[in-house]
Amino acid sequence: MVNLEYKLKNAYNKLFRENLILVAIAILVIVTASIEPVFFSAGNLINIMRQFGPLIMVSLGMTFVIIGGFIDLSVAGIISLVAVCTVLLIDVVGQGPALLLGLGVGALCGLINSMLLLSSGALTQAEALFMTYGMSVVYGALALILSNGSTKHIGWAKNATTYFTVIGSGKVGFVPVSFAVFAVSLIILYILQNKSYIGRVMKLTGGNITAARLCGLEVNRSIIFIYVVSGLMTAIGAIVLISRITTASPVIGFGYETNAILAVVVGGTTLEGGKGSVLRTVVGTLLVILLANCMNILGVSVYMQYILRGLILVVAIWLDRHK
Amino acid sequence: MHNTEKGVILQIENVCKEFPGVKALDRVSISVARGSVHGIVGENGAGKSTLMKILSGVYTKDEGTIIFDDEIITETTPMESMKRGLSIIYQELNLVNTLSVGENIFLGRLGELGGVRNVQREARKVLQRIGCNIDTRRLVEDLSVSEKQMIEISKALSFDSKLIIMDEPSSSLTADEMKELALIIQQLRESGISIIYISHKLDEIFEFCNTVTIMRDGHVIDTKPVTELTRSEMIAKMVGRTIENEYPPRPNCVGDTLLEIEGINTNKLKDISFTLNRGEILGFVGLVGAGRTEIVRAIFGADKVSGHRIKIDGKFVNIRSPKDAKRAGIALVPEDRKLQGLVLSFSVEENISMAVLDRLCRYGILSTSSESTVARRHVKSLAIKTPSERSRVESLSGGNQQKCIVGRWLELKPRVLILDEPTRGIDVGAKYEIYMLMKKIVEDGGSVILISSELPEVLNMSNRILTVCDGRITGEFDPLQYTADQIMEKALDFSGKEEDGESGI
Repeated sequence: MVNLEYKLKNAYNKLFRENLILVAIAILVIVTASIEPVFFSAGNLINIMRQFGPLIMVSLGMTFVIIGGFIDLSVAGIISLVAVCTVLLIDVVGQGPALLLGLGVGALCGLINSMLLLSSGALTQAEALFMTYGMSVVYGALALILSNGSTKHIGWAKNATTYFTVIGSGKVGFVPVSFAVFAVSLIILYILQNKSYIGRVMKLTGGNITAARLCGLEVNRSIIFIYVVSGLMTAIGAIVLISRITTASPVIGFGYETNAILAVVVGGTTLEGGKGSVLRTVVGTLLVILLANCMNILGVSVYMQYILRGLILVVAIWLDRHK
Repeated sequence: MHNTEKGVILQIENVCKEFPGVKALDRVSISVARGSVHGIVGENGAGKSTLMKILSGVYTKDEGTIIFDDEIITETTPMESMKRGLSIIYQELNLVNTLSVGENIFLGRLGELGGVRNVQREARKVLQRIGCNIDTRRLVEDLSVSEKQMIEISKALSFDSKLIIMDEPSSSLTADEMKELALIIQQLRESGISIIYISHKLDEIFEFCNTVTIMRDGHVIDTKPVTELTRSEMIAKMVGRTIENEYPPRPNCVGDTLLEIEGINTNKLKDISFTLNRGEILGFVGLVGAGRTEIVRAIFGADKVSGHRIKIDGKFVNIRSPKDAKRAGIALVPEDRKLQGLVLSFSVEENISMAVLDRLCRYGILSTSSESTVARRHVKSLAIKTPSERSRVESLSGGNQQKCIVGRWLELKPRVLILDEPTRGIDVGAKYEIYMLMKKIVEDGGSVILISSELPEVLNMSNRILTVCDGRITGEFDPLQYTADQIMEKALDFSGKEEDGESGI
């Protein structure tokens, strides 16, 4: 009897608790679609996919930072800076070099973040929170300075098909190019996370930085690694974004940091560090995007949406604590 | 109420306290006379702090009776016991650095004074009672340690304390400041306040106290007027006798010099130099905070230290990080198992493979099968009791957790294994296994540095013992030729510090 009860409880935990987020997504979709069938229209699905593209890149990078025991608020500034730099550079050096330089700018921002943390010895998550927030402001301001505060357009790319715009809007067969970029990134990050040496060092550092250091592991290298990955993934996200809209506003990154953290935490990666997965973040990002989309379709006000988003973050942290 | 004699301020009867796996206090009875200074001595872990925390209300007792000022105390909180007249001054003073002296004295009671304006005036009054002239508006962070202590004492006085407990009050005072403290204690006593004085420094016990209680392993060993005890008797009671068969036979395979350390100097350590021989177990004896841990952390590259020299096999090695130490064949099992040793939320396997991770990788990719092999090997050879290698290390007992940490380093076959409090908080059986392991390591040609607060452990396992006191190495002993008392005497040798003072305290 007791055994059965235990089994039932276990089954409940497995089915419901661990897959709570999938249940939430299902409910959200069913409710929205039954009220507004327009949810399943091709236009809306493409819309969801488009929003998914940039955010998932940022969230995947953020997952590494959080597993590694830190946090990165600078992604908002990095998106703006990369976007502005890339668009400005296209006319100067051409598309290919501009894209590579854009990625370089993102990685460099991540490197700067990690160097600042390491050199100051500010190695707690709270200190990282404020430090990267500060850097976000700096990167954002650089974007404003470089763009003179105005939105930059790539006029000639508006209606032309170049390989720059293909990233954002092109397709290979049925698969959007941005989705392919996402799939490849996910596979690489998944392997890094689960199979690589640096990935294990990252997890151990997130789990207990003191123990990791006393075992002779390269804790500093792990911190550089997570921030560079975050910067790079954010830059990819920025490029996916601007190649679709062919414009770069210097404040384009606004709000990405909170959405990315929301996606990671809702996905089930713990803020304590050490544990989590990029796969969970994929589901988390899906929920964040769907939530905004469904609310828009149902005509819920934007302010209400903010409240809901905040509550979901609180619930996610609460659930994580009461596992 | 009926049991207390007149003239007893505090009566502790048969108090017991158990923590998971440890009996911290076992039927402890102490009675403190009004207006007396009552000393409590004992080694680290004897149960002194637990007892004080029960008195102040931080912990609750499992059994027993406490009668304070003719009133039976059942459950209490720190604030309540202070209001009742029982104050504790902790070793790590509990002041708010960013507030003023006055605000600290009346912390949490500003309302009772009828406004902030009265704080400084009232604080002035209290300070004057112990003849202290510190400006009450100064911030506590600008004060010296001894001044902070005065503030703590004044705070206790402001509660009209009848009993003040001082936990290691002299640990960071200079000789001059000690004299001031002596005067204050004298004054307090004359005004009828009782004091419980906890200290490792036996000289102070003899100077200040009327009566002394000696504790060991959660028991009261003896309570006597200080005049009826000699220093060596007191040490003998503190240290106790060893039970036979608690330790394996002492290994005897000491060879030639392996490790030479020269001139470690930090703001805590003073000119630390020593050698370690092949196949030797070298024990460090000293109080907690004497600098033992800092010495091994410096050698291991865990703390930034410069200017010292380390030679292995006669060759200089440069160790600036734990990684360098690992490469040089030095391993460290740290003091705090949970905070510094384990990654608690990870599996046994992942915890064992931590130190050899780079060897399990090829082109940056981790081989999980070799990781499992390594983990299984050590789980088996060290008899680690775990449901599986994949179980969370958190779920294991303390002894088995410790074996995981040791196993992690054994895979590297270290030449020098440093064990910092390896048996703290683990049961007798697991302790014996750790001792056997140490023996095996030295018999296989390795060397061990053993730090332990349990003196019998060091005495029985070491080939040679160094005493550390106040950041200096104060003596070197062959444990076969010296008694525990003689060694303890050197471990409590603060003379280096008091040299600059004039007279002997």
